[in-house]
Parts: sequence; C-alpha cells; structure tokens
Amino acid sequence: MKKTTPLVLGIDAGGTMTDTILVDKQGNFAVGKAPTTPNYESEGFIESAQDATNIWNLDINKTFEELEVALYSGTGMLNTLLSRTGKRIGLIVTRGMEDAVLMGRGLQSWAGYSYEDRLHAVTHAHPDPLVPLSRVRGVTERIDHFGQVVIPAYEHEAVSGVKELLEQDIEGLCVCCMYSHVNPEHELQIGEAARRVFAEQDIDIPIYLSHHVRPIIREQSRLNSTLIEAYATSQGREQLLGVETAAKQHGFSNSMQTMLSYGGLADVRYPRLHETMISGPVGGLLGARHVGELVGADSVIVSDMGGTSFDIGAITRGKVPIEDEPTLARFKLNLPTLAMDTIGAGGGTIVKVDPYTHKVSLGPESAGSVPGPVAMDMGGTEPTIADCDAIMGRLNPDNFLGGKVQLNVDKAKQVLKEKVADPLGVDVYEAAEGMVNMLEMEAKSSIESIISSRGVDPGEYHLMAYGGSGPLHMAEYSRGLGFKGVLSFPFAAAFSAFGCTTADYLHRHSQSVHIMTGPDSSDKDREEARRQINEIWSELDSQARSELISEGHETDAIVCEPFAMMRYTGQLEDVEVAAPVTKLESDEDLDKLTQAFEDLYEQINRSVSGYGTAGFTIMELGLNARVEKVKPELSRRPLGSKNPDPEAAKGKRSMYYNRAWHEAQLWEMDMLKPGNVLEGPAIVEHPATTLVIPAGDRVRVDEWTILHYEHGEDTQNSVGNVL
Amino acid sequence: MASYDKEIIRDLIDGTLPWQSTKSIMSQYKDDDRFFKYIDILQERVKFNDQILLPIGEHLYIVAKKSEPQGERVVKCGCGHEFGHYTNNWKLNAVINVRDEEEEIAEIYPGRHSYDPDWMEIREFICPGCATLLEVEAAAPGYPIVFDFLPYLETFYRDWLGTELPAEPR
Repeated sequence: MKKTTPLVLGIDAGGTMTDTILVDKQGNFAVGKAPTTPNYESEGFIESAQDATNIWNLDINKTFEELEVALYSGTGMLNTLLSRTGKRIGLIVTRGMEDAVLMGRGLQSWAGYSYEDRLHAVTHAHPDPLVPLSRVRGVTERIDHFGQVVIPAYEHEAVSGVKELLEQDIEGLCVCCMYSHVNPEHELQIGEAARRVFAEQDIDIPIYLSHHVRPIIREQSRLNSTLIEAYATSQGREQLLGVETAAKQHGFSNSMQTMLSYGGLADVRYPRLHETMISGPVGGLLGARHVGELVGADSVIVSDMGGTSFDIGAITRGKVPIEDEPTLARFKLNLPTLAMDTIGAGGGTIVKVDPYTHKVSLGPESAGSVPGPVAMDMGGTEPTIADCDAIMGRLNPDNFLGGKVQLNVDKAKQVLKEKVADPLGVDVYEAAEGMVNMLEMEAKSSIESIISSRGVDPGEYHLMAYGGSGPLHMAEYSRGLGFKGVLSFPFAAAFSAFGCTTADYLHRHSQSVHIMTGPDSSDKDREEARRQINEIWSELDSQARSELISEGHETDAIVCEPFAMMRYTGQLEDVEVAAPVTKLESDEDLDKLTQAFEDLYEQINRSVSGYGTAGFTIMELGLNARVEKVKPELSRRPLGSKNPDPEAAKGKRSMYYNRAWHEAQLWEMDMLKPGNVLEGPAIVEHPATTLVIPAGDRVRVDEWTILHYEHGEDTQNSVGNVL
Repeated sequence: MASYDKEIIRDLIDGTLPWQSTKSIMSQYKDDDRFFKYIDILQERVKFNDQILLPIGEHLYIVAKKSEPQGERVVKCGCGHEFGHYTNNWKLNAVINVRDEEEEIAEIYPGRHSYDPDWMEIREFICPGCATLLEVEAAAPGYPIVFDFLPYLETFYRDWLGTELPAEPR
C-alpha cells in the first residue's frame, strides 16, 4: 500500500470512457477508468474515481475529504448540441437579420471535413440551425459601428415579437442586436420589454443577451455563442451539479471545478458554461507548459496522437496563442480557445485503397474504440494503423492496454493482405510499414506547416510527444525536423488529463474596441485613448473580481492581468499583448504598451520588420483574472546508471523496421530510472502506450524521468520509404 | 470495400436517406456492386420488362429489347415508350415545346428573371407516351438539338463493371 495524500482529482468524461487521474504532491499519479454513463454522469464519475483510488488502496471517502481540487469535464453539453436535444429557444434580432441563423457562415458548411470533402461542394451542407426561422423575430433598431443610435429600438415590435414567441412555448429567449458589443443599449431595452411581457403573463424563463455572453465584434459568432449557451448548457449544468453532489456525499468539501476552453478552471456554477465545451486538447498544452517550466523549456511544440486524431500546438516563450473564433459542432463561436491544429491521424485511422486507381489513403475515418482495429477482434473489418503496428511486431499482442485486450495479429494480417497488400501487389509487411510511414509523414507535414506558418524556428523548440499512439510513431514524425530536443513521458497516454490538473482558476473577460494611436496622434487623442483603455480595464477588473469572489476565492489571491489585442494599423491579425502596467497613468505608459506590442511582434515574426509608422490599433481589451492553484510536481531524482535494472528487461521480440526484421530489446517503461540510456532497436512497453526505438536511435531518461528521444546521425529515414 | 443494403440504395435514389448517411457514402470510395443494385431497383420501378443497360436520365433508360429484334439497344421512357436506337438522339422523337415568346417565358421566369428570346430559347422534351417532361435544354435560336450523351456501353461494362455486355444483333 502506498502512503500518499492525493491532491488533485481530474476527470475527463469522454464519449465512451470516463478517465480519472489522481495526482499527489510529488507528481505520482493513478489513472482510473470506467464506462461513461451519459444520463447520470455522476455514476460513471464515482466509479472511475473508485477505480483510481483502488490503485493506491485508498478509501474513496477519505480521498474525497482530503482532496483540495476536483475537476470534471464532461461531454453532456456537446452531446445535447450534436443530438439537437436542447432547449426550445426563441430569438430576437435586428430586423432584417432574421435569416442569419439559416445563412450561417459559409465555412460552417464544410467545417471538420477532410480535404477531399472540402473540395467537393456536393458534400457541403449547413448544420441544422438551433432555432427554426419560425421562432425568430426582428425588431426595428439600429446602432452604428461607433455605438450611436441611428434608429431607436421599436419597443412595440419587441413586445409583439416576444408574445408571438411565447405562444410557441419557448423555454429561453436570446437577443442579439447588431453592434451590441459597442453599445448594448438596445439589447438591454429589448430584454427589459421581454421581462415586462413575462411578468404580465407570469412566465419565468431565462433571457440571454449577446453582449452579456461576450461583447466581441462579429455578429454571427456572437449569435452562435448566445444560442449555444441558451440551447445546450442547462442540462449540462444539471449533470455537473449532480457530479458535485455525488462528490460531496463522499466527503468532498469544496466546489467542483470544470475546464474552460482557454485553460482555466471555473466553478460549475459559472454563468457562461458554453466556454467549457471545447476543452479536449487544452490539457496537453497546459501540461506541456507546466513540464516545460520545470525542465527549462519555454518554447514547445506539442503533439498528441491518440486513436482518432493528431493534435499539434505551439507554446512560444511560455505563451500559448489564443484562437478567438473556434468551430464547435460546425458552428463558428466567439470564444477564446487555446489554439491547436488537428488532423485525422491516429492508431485507429482506417487505411483505404481505391479499387480502380489503387491510390492509398488514410482516414480521416477512425475505427474508434468500437468496433476498433481488426486485431482487437471486436467486429472491426477495415485495416487500421494499429493493425499495421501489430503486424510489424511493434505492438505486443499479449500486453495491449496492459494485457486487457489480446490482439489477433493473424486476423489483422489476413485483412491487410486482402484489402491493401494484394491490390497493391506488395508484401504484407511492406504494406504495413508503408501505411504507417504515410501516417507519420502526414503528422510530420502538419508539424512542418505549424513551423512555417507561425514563423517558428524549430531549433529553439522542444517537441513533446504524447497520447496513446504518440511514442509509437514519434521516431519518424519528429525525424529531421531539427528540434532542440524531443521528449516523451512514461505517462504519455494520460498526459492531457495530467495537464488539466496543472490549470489555475482563470477567467478571461474582454471587450471589443477600436482604438488607434500613431505617430501623428495629438496629445489629446492619446489622452482619450488612455482614458478609454483604463476605463474598460477597470470595469473588467471589478467584474472579474466579483465573479471569482462569488466562487469563494479570497480577494487577495486574485491577480488580474490586463491585455490588449493589438496590430499595426491596416493589418488583419492581432497579437495578444500583456499590459506592462495595470493602468496607463501617463503618456509614457501608452508608449510602454505599444513598445510591448512591438517587442512581441518581433519575437513572433523574427524575419519580418515592425512597421510602427503605420500606427497601432487595439481591437480588443481584456484581462485574465487568475487565482493560483496547487500543482503537482514531477519528482527529481539523481542520475544513476546508464544500464537499466535487469528487472526492466522483458526479453526480445522481432520488429519490422526499414523493410527488415530486427531483434528488438524489450523494456518495461515503469521500471526505467533516471540516467538509463536505451539503444535501438528497442521497444519500451507500458500498459497504455508503446515507445519504439529503431536501430541507430536512442532514448535517454533524465532526472525527471522524462524520456529524451535522440535520433542517430545517419540513420535511414524510414519515412522516405513511403510506397 | 464498402457495400450497402439494397434498402439504403433505394433511399439514396429517393432522396430519403438521412444527410449524415448520404454524406458518409459520398465520402467513401464507390461501392463495388452499386451499379447492379441501382439497376435492380430501377428495373422494379419501370413499366417494361426489357433489361436496363444504363440509365441516361431521370426517366430514360438504354435497354436491351426483349421483343424483336431481340437484344437491340434502344432508349425507353419509364412508361415503356420507345425512342429508337441509342446511337440516335432520342430527343428527335420526343414532343418538343419551345419557349421563345415573352408570355411563355414569363410562366417560368417572370419579370426581371426573363431572358431575351432573340438570344436564347428553352426547349422542353416531353414523352409522347406519358407526357412526362424528360429533359430541358437552353440554346441559341437555330442551334441544332443537342445530343446529350452517347456512351461507350461495351467499354463501360468490360472495363468498369468487369462483365461482358451481351452482343447486339446486327
């Protein structure tokens, strides 16, 4: 029995499984799993938590009593949205904009499609709107982009519109007026009118005003965010509260936290719950930043290869870029999200050969966990990458998922031969390696495209490879890219969940503006700009503080970090500039802000010169309100012998690599110690992942037990062997 | 390779398959046996017994005749009306309505949507047997009737479907 005091419990309820990670102060962790129970998520939550506490032989009630933080992210809201089973909502918009729900954004008709489907317009279709046109009403009103009232809001139209919507038994009302992010007057007025009608008819349903959801420019995204908040979050919140109640019944004394898309934790009572809906890949970035800080790597490319997708992101000098208009369930949202690119490439990716042209293609379809790869013998009929790995001896058929699943390699071989190798006229092993190389090449080119499109110099970056399939393919997808270092972890498969436990309580508030300063600005203009900036920062500051205080945080613990989204006037993209001071007291402070922008701009776009003569435009002002949370640490141990302990050796296995069979040394990942060096050909096994080291390459275990992958100097590039 | 139930193909033809399923079929490589399942379903729906060789329109088929001269490849409407050998333009044997007057144009394209009949006309090809509108073409006045499609039936059957087409009697 292990003596330990658990610190953080992180739970990620996925579509099929609910994963738990239990972390103690020393960075030890236990991973638990249980099937997700979509209707009563609290059941799966407790079962999964129990599974994790069992690993350490802990009492679940005692664990919950001792826990400082428990965080839970579920898929309930996303499922509500995808299955279109949300609330019956009504919508009021500026008259003339009623069709906005039907028209959407053009890119919503192909968002999430494969490259081929994007090219073929016949496959394009808009997502079903969340509110039908029959429940949309227009109200005559107009505010211009300076925030001035051009046409006053016609209240009688608002009143009759609301009455008509109530006749249709709506369960929630959304209001989205043009330019309400500049001047919310009309939205408030329409909201008031609606409230009066509700009172007259003795009806109590929620009203969602778009500028409350997030006062940011771009009507369609603001509209979508407002609709999704109204449509999908209420059932989700009930589930979250249910999970909290279950935790409290087991003795947990704090409130349950959930994960926001920009990497912060929020109480499950958080008012803008739709901000928790894109939190999948966020954990990996947070984990990478945390580990990067520990080991002194502040610029990191993260790569997460799981069963279905390959997610890539970049952390530059400790900063993660924010994507402001992400897509969720094919709706463009107005929601800051940690930026990650994703392609359909993972262990479950299906391999296809065109019957006529013999062109080979991968995915983007995945066999998922059900029916899974052919080798899992659960009804899968299409060959996948995992099947290829099993055929080549890279996966251990007797130790897949820690031996829970016995792989049927012969069946995988037979299917791959029939569907891929024979049509192509090649040997089955050659075919298997060719498919795997194609996947690795796709992953590699997506990393290359992040490097080239973001002006990143790979020599300054470390690559972190994690996810269940990451270590299996990292040797090739990182080869020749020139990173400062290539890292992986013994807990690669649970790295995202680990990352979630490193998050702080963080809420982000922001407001669209349009403030310009330049070399020609008069003192008066500059003073006005400062006044405007200070006013908005101070408003957001008090808003953010009161929200965090209401979640039970101490006033003194709250740190507000203001920022400005800035660009050179005339550019199309902003960068997020952390304010050098929290209030622009003097004219020099304004210079400090523009200087901070120029410094950052130069850092990001090394080869591109700044262009201060064009002046500066601030498009958005905001602040991150943060309360620090206890974080797990990685244990640091002195470097020992280069040779792993004899108990770590598990024998040898034949592995196909570079079109030849090699005798690979097998190691048990959990038995490796700091200082160990593993020479390829070798395979390092772990219940949840497998690390493959081809001949010529080696892996070094550092004092944090992080695995450093080192490519041999003149090893043959296996990716060059693509069929 | 993908293969679908006949019921799914039937729904696909009728346009009643849910969009997600339709999209996923579109995104896959073509199923090997689609053509024959497709032809089977069409065969159940037409009012003649001749074997359909290739559909060439919503209601038009190239068929191998059962009656004499047996095996001759002719174009037929779904109602059974025969338009002659498939190497000849079937339109020449259809009832044709030409819309080249303001009033007739306005029935379809009213007001500002109209076209100039000096520059363009619309020709509607109607089945003399069942009065179904079989095809519409837009052309400049005086332009010969367009021959839409002359397929290489033997090549299609041999190289794409992997089967030989029964020979046509001379």
